[in-house]
Amino acid sequence: MRWTYVLTRLLQIIPTLILAAVLVFTLVRLLPGDPASAILGDRATPEIVERTRRELGLDQPLPVQFARFVGRLLQGDFGISTSLKVPVLRLIAERLPVTLFLTLYAAVLGALLAVPLAVLAAVRRNTWVDGVIRAVFQVGLSLPVFYIALQLLTLLGARLGWFPIGGYGDTFGEHLYALFLPALTLGFNLAAVLMRTLRASVIEVLTAEYVDFARAKGLRSRVIMTRHVLRNAMISTVTLLGLNIGALIGGAVITETVFAIPGVGRLMVDAIFGRDYPVIQGLTLTFAVLVSLVFLLTDLVHARLDPRAQHA
Amino acid sequence: MNRFTRLTLALGAALTLGSSLAVTRGGTMVYGRYADSLFLDPVLNDANLDIWILTNLYDTLLQPTPDGKRVRPGLASSYKLSPDGKTMTLTLRPGLRFADGSPLTSGDVKWSLDRARNPQNGAWNGSLASINSVTAQGNTVTLNLKQPDPTLTAALATFNAAIMPQKLFNAASGKNDAEKARAFAEKPIGSGPFVLSEWKRGSYMTLKRNPYYWQKGEDGKALPYLDAVRFEIVPDDNTRILKLQSGELQGAEFIPLSRVAELKANARINMELFPSTQVNFITMNNRPKLNNGATNPLSDVRVRQALNFATNKDALIQVVTYGTGKPMRSFMSSTTPLFAPQRGYPYNAARARQLLQAAGYGNGFEVSCLATSGSANDLALLTALQQMWGQVGVRLKIEQVDAATKTARYRANDFQMRTAGWTNDINDPSQITSYFAIYDNVESLHTGFRNAEIERLFGQSQAETNRQNRAGQYRRIQTIYNDAAPIVFLYETPYPVALAKNVRGFVQIPLGNNIFTAASLEK
Repeated sequence: MRWTYVLTRLLQIIPTLILAAVLVFTLVRLLPGDPASAILGDRATPEIVERTRRELGLDQPLPVQFARFVGRLLQGDFGISTSLKVPVLRLIAERLPVTLFLTLYAAVLGALLAVPLAVLAAVRRNTWVDGVIRAVFQVGLSLPVFYIALQLLTLLGARLGWFPIGGYGDTFGEHLYALFLPALTLGFNLAAVLMRTLRASVIEVLTAEYVDFARAKGLRSRVIMTRHVLRNAMISTVTLLGLNIGALIGGAVITETVFAIPGVGRLMVDAIFGRDYPVIQGLTLTFAVLVSLVFLLTDLVHARLDPRAQHA
Repeated sequence: MNRFTRLTLALGAALTLGSSLAVTRGGTMVYGRYADSLFLDPVLNDANLDIWILTNLYDTLLQPTPDGKRVRPGLASSYKLSPDGKTMTLTLRPGLRFADGSPLTSGDVKWSLDRARNPQNGAWNGSLASINSVTAQGNTVTLNLKQPDPTLTAALATFNAAIMPQKLFNAASGKNDAEKARAFAEKPIGSGPFVLSEWKRGSYMTLKRNPYYWQKGEDGKALPYLDAVRFEIVPDDNTRILKLQSGELQGAEFIPLSRVAELKANARINMELFPSTQVNFITMNNRPKLNNGATNPLSDVRVRQALNFATNKDALIQVVTYGTGKPMRSFMSSTTPLFAPQRGYPYNAARARQLLQAAGYGNGFEVSCLATSGSANDLALLTALQQMWGQVGVRLKIEQVDAATKTARYRANDFQMRTAGWTNDINDPSQITSYFAIYDNVESLHTGFRNAEIERLFGQSQAETNRQNRAGQYRRIQTIYNDAAPIVFLYETPYPVALAKNVRGFVQIPLGNNIFTAASLEK
C-alpha cells in the first residue's frame, strides 16, 4: 500500500472539515430560537434574555461570531456549553468513548451475526433455511430500533433478569455486560443490512469460474469459502459496513436514550433541543472527522482486499 | 378480658409502636430522573432540573413546608419583623456548618443574599428586590427593606436565597463571579442534607450524606437517614419504569400519567401522586391583530369565554391525564397560597355558540395552536379540543414545533394559541400573578392581556402585610382574570413518582423540589 495514497486521503479530510464547520455554524443559526431563550425558557423577561445573549456573545454580528469560533477552533478550543457551562471538549472526551464502544460492539456483533448466516443462506439458497434466515432479517429491517430495544429490555432484562436495564457500568467488563443488549439491538439492524448484500455476493462469487476452478483443483470447501469466496464477497460488504458506521452513530441516538447510555448521541439531541451552539458545532466536527476516518479506513481495507482499488 | 389477652394486646401495641418509631438508617437510594441537572449554582441557574435538586445541597434561612402552603425555620431558627414592616431580624441556629466542616457564619449569609439580589446575577434576583441592605453581626442577620414585603419570607425559603460558603466560593478558580460559579458548581459545598460526591454527566450523580447537617431525625440523631442518594439518568419513560420494576431503582420520577393506574395495581410499587402547583392551560394571543396583520378573533373576550365554555374539562382530564388531574379553578393552582376558587367555565356548548354568535362568529372561524412536537400529551389534548371546538364551529389547526422554536415564536408574539404549563418556584402567589397578569413583566405570558385594576391591586398586594387584606386583593385579581379569560383554563396535574415499597419519607413538594432529607429505606 502506498503511503502517499494514505497521506493524500488524510489531507482531503481538511476541506471536508472546513465545509462542515461553515455549514453547521450557519445551519444552527437558521433554526428558530437561540441558546439564550432555550436556557431561560419562556419566563425570562426580554432584559434578561438580552443580557444572556450579550454574555454568550450572540449580540455580535454573524461574521464576528464565526471568526471567534474559528479562532478558538484553531487553538483547539470548542468553546463552553451554553447550557451545561463546561468546556465542550471535555464533554466530548467524556462521552465519545461510550458511543465508540457501543458502535464498535454493535459492528462486531452485527458482523458475527451476518457473515455466518449469509454464507449459510447462500450455500443453502432457496431452501427453507435460506427462507427462515432471510425472513428473520427482513423483520429486523422493518422493525424500528426502539421497538426491538424495548422488547429485548422487557424480555432479557426485566423478565429473565439476565442483563441490567440500561446504564453503562464503570469497568470494561461492566461495559461489555451493560452494553450487550443495546449493541445487539444495533447489531441486529446492521446485520440485516449486511446480510442481504453479503448473501448476494457470496452467491455471485460461488458461481464464478475461479471457484469452479478451485473446486476442480480439489480444494476443500472450507478453504474455498474462506480464501476465495468470502474474501471477494467481503469487498462490497466492507464498503457497506463503512457507510453504515455513520448510520450506526445515528441509530445510537435512539438506542442511547432507550438504554440510558451516556454517549454523544444523547448529548447531541439535548444540545439541539437546547440550541447549545458550541456543543452542536463541536460534535458535528467530531462526527465529520470520525466519518472521514471510517471512510478512509474502509477504502484502505477495500484496497487491501482488492488491490485494483488504490489505483482507481 | 383475661390476663393473657391483655398481655398479648399490650405486647402487640408496644411492638407496633416500637416498629413505627424506628427508622432504618443507612443505605443508598437510587432515583431515576428523566434528565440530568445542568448547572448547580442556586443564583445563576434557570432550569427545574437544577432547582428541584438544589435544596438537597444548599440550605435556605427559611424552608417551604411539605404542603407548600407556608414557610418554617431553616438555617434561621427564628425571624422577627419590625412593627413598621421594614426591618427583618433573623437569628441563625448555633453551630451551623457547611458540608466540609467549616462554620457557616452570618457573614456567609450576608454575602450570599447580596450575591442573590444583585440585579446583574441570574433571573431570580427580583424576588429579593425589596432588600435595601443586609447587615450581619454574631448570629444575627438584619435585612433593611425599601418597603414592607409580604413575599419576603417565601423568598428567603426559595432556592436562589441559598446560603453558600463565601470563602470556598472565592477560592474557586476564575476571574469573575460567573467563572468562579462555573468552577464551584462542579464540586459545590453547601449546608444542605447532602453533598455532591460524584457526577458523571448524563449518567449519574451521587449525593453523600452531609455529616454536619443541623436537622435531627425522629431518633434524635442528625438527618439524613440515608447514606447516599444516587440519581441515575434514564430519559426513556418505559425504561425508567422497567428499572424500577426490576429493583434497580427505588424511585422514578415523571411516570407517564397513562401508566399510573397500572403501577398503582402493582403490589411491589408505591405509586405516589404528590400534590403540585402545576397548571396546564392554553395561552391565547389577546391582541387585536396578529403579527401578519390579520384580524384576531381571540381579542374579543366573548370568543375567549366561548372557547372556555366549549372545553369539556372533565373529558380532557379522562383522556389526557387518565383521571389524575382536576379542573383549574383559577389561573393559580389550588395548592398556591391565597388561591380563591372561581366559578370557572363549566362545559356548555350552547352558551359557547351564543357567545360566538354575539361576537359575530356565528359561522365559526379557524384558529391555530402551537404544540410541542413529540409530546403525546399535547397531541391528545389538541385532537380532543379539535372535536370539542368543532361542535361550536371553531376549526383548530395544530402546529407541531420543537420546544425552542415554540419559545422563539411565542416571544415574538408570532402565535395565536400555545399549549403551556406552569409550576411555582416560590411559596407565594406573587410570582405566578406577575407572569400571568402583569403586562410589564412578560406581557402577561405574551398574551398581551392588560387590566388596570389587576395592576393596581397587585401593586398594593406587594406591600400589604395584613394577610387578610392581601387575600382580598388576590381574590379580586383571580375573579377579574377568570372573567377576562386570557387563557383556556384546563386542569391541574400532580407529580407522579413511583417508589419501591420500602421507601419512606420521600416527598416532592408542590414546588417540585425532591426532598430526601427524611427519606429512608426500610428493611
